[in-house]
Amino acid sequence: MPDLPTLRPALAGEPALDSTTIALQALPEGHLLQIMGATERAVVEAAIAAAGLEGSDVREAGYRQWYVVGDKQLSSKTLRELTSALPAGTFLSDQSHGRVRIRLSGPHATKLLSTGTAVDLHDAAFPEGRSAITLFGHLSVHLTRKSAAGFELIVLRSFAEALYEELHAHAA
Amino acid sequence: MSSHRLSTGGQIDRARSVKFTFDGKALTGHPGDTLASALLANGIQLVGRSFKYHRPRGILTAGAAEPNALVTTGTGGRTEANTRATMIELHDGLNARSQNRWPSLGFDIGAVNGLLSPFLSAGFYYKTFMWPAGFWEKVYEPLIRKAAGLGKASYEADPDSYEKCWAHCDLLVIGAGPSGLAAALTAGRAGARVLLADEGFAFGGTLLTDRDARLSAMLAELEALPNVQCLPRTTVIGWYDDNVFGAVERVQKHVAEPDPGQPVERLWRIIAKQAILASGAEERPLVFGGNDIPGVMMAGAMRSYLNRQAVAPGKRVAVFTTNNAGYRTAADLEAAGVDVAAIVDPRATNEPGWNGKAKVLTNACIVDALGGKSVSGVSIAGASGVQRFEADAVAMSGGWSPVIHLACHRGAKPVWSDTHAAFLAPERQEGLSLAGAAAGLWSTEACLSDGSRKAAEALQLLGFAKVEPAFAEADAAQPAATPFWFAKGSKGKAFVDYQNDVNLKDLGLAVREGYGDVELAKRYTTNGMATDQGKLSNINAIGILAEARGVSPADVGTTTFRPFYTPVSFGALTGASRGKHFQPVRKSPLHDWAKKNGATFVETGLWYRAAWFPRAGETTWRESVDREVLNIRKNAGICDVSTLGKIEIFGRDAATFLDRVYCNGFAKLPVGKARYGIMLREDGMIYDDGTTSRFSDDHFFMTTTTALAAGVLTHLEFCAQTLWPELEVHFASSTDQWAQMAVAGPKSRAILSEIVDEDISDAAFPFMSARTVSLFGGKLEGRLFRISFSGELAYELGVPAGYGESVADAIMQTGEKHGICAYGAEALGVMRIEKGHVTHAEINGTVTPGDLGFGRMVSTTKPDFIGKVMLAREGMQASDRPRLVGVKPLDPKASFRTGSHILSDGAAATLENDQGYVTSSCYSPNLGHTIGLALIKNGPERIGEKVMIWNGLRNEFTDGVICSPVFIDPENEKLHA
Amino acid sequence: MASLITCPHCGQRPKEEFTIKGDAGLARPAPDAGADVWYDYVYLRDNPKGLHKEYWHHSSGCRRWLIVERDTVTHKVHSVSDAALAKLGGAA
Repeated sequence: MPDLPTLRPALAGEPALDSTTIALQALPEGHLLQIMGATERAVVEAAIAAAGLEGSDVREAGYRQWYVVGDKQLSSKTLRELTSALPAGTFLSDQSHGRVRIRLSGPHATKLLSTGTAVDLHDAAFPEGRSAITLFGHLSVHLTRKSAAGFELIVLRSFAEALYEELHAHAA
Repeated sequence: MSSHRLSTGGQIDRARSVKFTFDGKALTGHPGDTLASALLANGIQLVGRSFKYHRPRGILTAGAAEPNALVTTGTGGRTEANTRATMIELHDGLNARSQNRWPSLGFDIGAVNGLLSPFLSAGFYYKTFMWPAGFWEKVYEPLIRKAAGLGKASYEADPDSYEKCWAHCDLLVIGAGPSGLAAALTAGRAGARVLLADEGFAFGGTLLTDRDARLSAMLAELEALPNVQCLPRTTVIGWYDDNVFGAVERVQKHVAEPDPGQPVERLWRIIAKQAILASGAEERPLVFGGNDIPGVMMAGAMRSYLNRQAVAPGKRVAVFTTNNAGYRTAADLEAAGVDVAAIVDPRATNEPGWNGKAKVLTNACIVDALGGKSVSGVSIAGASGVQRFEADAVAMSGGWSPVIHLACHRGAKPVWSDTHAAFLAPERQEGLSLAGAAAGLWSTEACLSDGSRKAAEALQLLGFAKVEPAFAEADAAQPAATPFWFAKGSKGKAFVDYQNDVNLKDLGLAVREGYGDVELAKRYTTNGMATDQGKLSNINAIGILAEARGVSPADVGTTTFRPFYTPVSFGALTGASRGKHFQPVRKSPLHDWAKKNGATFVETGLWYRAAWFPRAGETTWRESVDREVLNIRKNAGICDVSTLGKIEIFGRDAATFLDRVYCNGFAKLPVGKARYGIMLREDGMIYDDGTTSRFSDDHFFMTTTTALAAGVLTHLEFCAQTLWPELEVHFASSTDQWAQMAVAGPKSRAILSEIVDEDISDAAFPFMSARTVSLFGGKLEGRLFRISFSGELAYELGVPAGYGESVADAIMQTGEKHGICAYGAEALGVMRIEKGHVTHAEINGTVTPGDLGFGRMVSTTKPDFIGKVMLAREGMQASDRPRLVGVKPLDPKASFRTGSHILSDGAAATLENDQGYVTSSCYSPNLGHTIGLALIKNGPERIGEKVMIWNGLRNEFTDGVICSPVFIDPENEKLHA
Repeated sequence: MASLITCPHCGQRPKEEFTIKGDAGLARPAPDAGADVWYDYVYLRDNPKGLHKEYWHHSSGCRRWLIVERDTVTHKVHSVSDAALAKLGGAA
């Protein structure tokens, strides 16, 4: 039997940035579950609570789609339990490795994001907790406002490095 | 050499000096100067040579419309040609050069073109160089290109960075003159999100020229409003659908050394709920002889240089005006101690209220300015005949044209107003209203009031309750304007379009020769073309055409206004998308695994795929690929196939859905099995292929080709959402979730058995099995598929992407004793050709399933699927369609290339004899010669036939023979091992 | 062409986030509808002046197919609805 497999984060080796105006960092590759189906957000929240994932964040991800996001890695067993906790007609696709989370914050975060997305990020138009799937430059990203000057971006793993480096270059 | 700096006054910082060079000469100016004002302050009036006649030209305006004072700035990659000296903010180290002169600005050999001017009149391109035809390309054009022209671009890369950004606002105010400032104040006080953009470096517009005492308080208030964003040095360049505006901000074009952390220019895309165009009005030149001699200047520009930069245009100025602007300039000149030789006014009575020293000549015209590289005097035609006045500068004002370009970018037509003697745009369009001089109001008070009112109206449309105008209503009454198109009796050339050297006679000629229509006259004379797009010349040209045709300017109409308002650098349009950021790089989770195993990468779309893995001693790619192929067929290999598209398909109706999008059946696919599927387009041609597996009743897993991964998902979504929305089916792209490895070769089972916990013997895990498996003693779950592209015993193993590298390492480690090697896309390609498997080289958009030998896969029992009806057409089933076969050279030492065509033995090499072409080819290390796949008419019926393989591009002919497309293991014994 | 499309799920977005497929007025014929009907469906398209309904895919956003009704002369967008919900009779 060869060595047990080890996880290699997509952005391992990419330097974090922490200046007075911008902070940029890759978030832990915990879990990211795509939930889809004819259901309501409250039902999804109830199901993830039942599976013991109270700390996870539920985010709008398009029509009748949600991302369940958290820092904890989930076992296949937990995933199966969560799948069975979902009502009929609601489905789960594990994207914990397929998508990567990046945190961007600081007084210039909004300005930096405006170089790529046409979503109006004014506090009134895009308040805390709001999510949007949008084009950032050439890439489709899922964007969530976590605080007044803090955002989280979710991007396909294969593009994570390209996005991170683009943000890093613009932030410098 | 008589323009100079006054000892007092101006909005410049005299305590500091700014060093710059012009044509290599070291000069100084002050902060607050433009390049143009600094040149004038240094007594430099001659700044360029004209396009066609190489006439000496000076500075005509103080703004964006400047047609003459085009210079080249910067050096190396920062070289920028054709920039307007009037728009360049003076800064330390500015290096500016004049253009279109040789050997020097003062002595230009090209000026001899002026002597040839009878041959260079309107339409000369069309007339003069007609014959002989060959002379055009070889002689005339190169000569003209050398003699006529503007600045030259640099071939070096621009070292600076550029940026694009989006912005949103309730109200965009374009122009920060009196109207714009009043609008921004009104909206800002009401709490609206306001963007205020002005192309100048200082806000104020005519309030600056007027030295209006109210300006500083207005600017301070705007600065203090957090909801107002001020964008100086920002030109709004276009108005687009849905009230989106484009703007270019010159962030660092006015600094000696740009901060590399900031862009030099930023392209804004502004989404405005409402906008106010307060772009002011452009002063019209007057058309008289010698009106291009350096020292002849727009009256408003002269006043601006005088009041803003304390620059006097000369010692003694003649003023030629049709309106009060010339009188204002005369008054300020006299106040500054400059003599005014005369005020020449073609109207019957002079402007009321003139009480200056200068004599006013009414019913009079300047017919000629005199001089060469500077003005020495003017000839004035009046009641008492023609008299000559000494003067070293001329101020001219032919009235005002509202700057309405942006308001007409979306199709609105300008309308001629007799009372304004100008074209006006509709005052209100959806999302945009015009304010102040842009709407034809000439007095400052009327502009302040109009800007306030228009802002209040715009905010009311957005639902703001009560908006208080910043300035009260003012009397908008103003005298009717008098149009004046040209002075009669000029001796010298009277220019209409300075930039294109179009003069009065050219327009007359255009009318006489039948090109009097405004669009035709533009092309015939070039009036209104090039970098200034006729900002100064168009209205005069229209007036002159109207007079020549005996109609109103309303009947002539205007040419079409299009974005951009002023020229935009390619840098700004490119933004950050250059070099490494031209397009994003897409990396497989096994990228670093391949890299550390020495892969050579190839770009496949945005992906970087491992192409082959060279080893020590291998000098050509073929050596590496041949070794990889031979080793896989003998032992085993591992290849990264993560780039294939992967789509999870969920839902009660997933099976039904798949039955409708694939031409073969999927409804009965058992759980735990994979099936090869062919997807057609609605026209019956193959769209894409791949395998789809079933993990549960309502969960399928589809793979697509790398190239069409995005396209197939979009297609599935289209079918599900627009064709059959009643089906319950959901898609999730999982391309990025899985690190997918192909492990192929006779030893692949032995290798994987050490990693996969379950039994994967042929009995337990036969060909086309697809199941979730446990790995590493239950430490990880993955998906195992027994599918094969190479024709060998093979598996594909998918593991969560983050574990990919580690699992690939483990497979390499386990496989070492079995002789495993890493292989890339090239070896994969060779093996699939050897096995006769198709890719998009064969699925080229013109092939049916039958063409590729999949005819019997197409379901005859399903009632419907995409492409079913059209596939049944007669032509789609014809036996003489090009169909898939193999080809090989008769002589194993001979070779041929992909793309070569097939000729019947003995047929001439003509298109008519074409029998088909080679879609894929490679050297087969197993067979020891070149092999190919080809689409040949009646192909399968011609196996064994001798043909000629013809490459017409390289004139290569290879004797070949048609054969089965399956070159290896036709009985599939290896596959099912 | 419009510069902005208001996606019923995502709000106002620039056209760069969308992919256009064309006439949304076409109904996919039944398999037995006959050659002429199928030929029209697959190959023939109107190029109307004025109001036109088109399929727009919010490809860089929610990935829903929308029906955009716009004026090909003025470029004004009159309505945007979710194609599936519109066909099922639901509100977009």
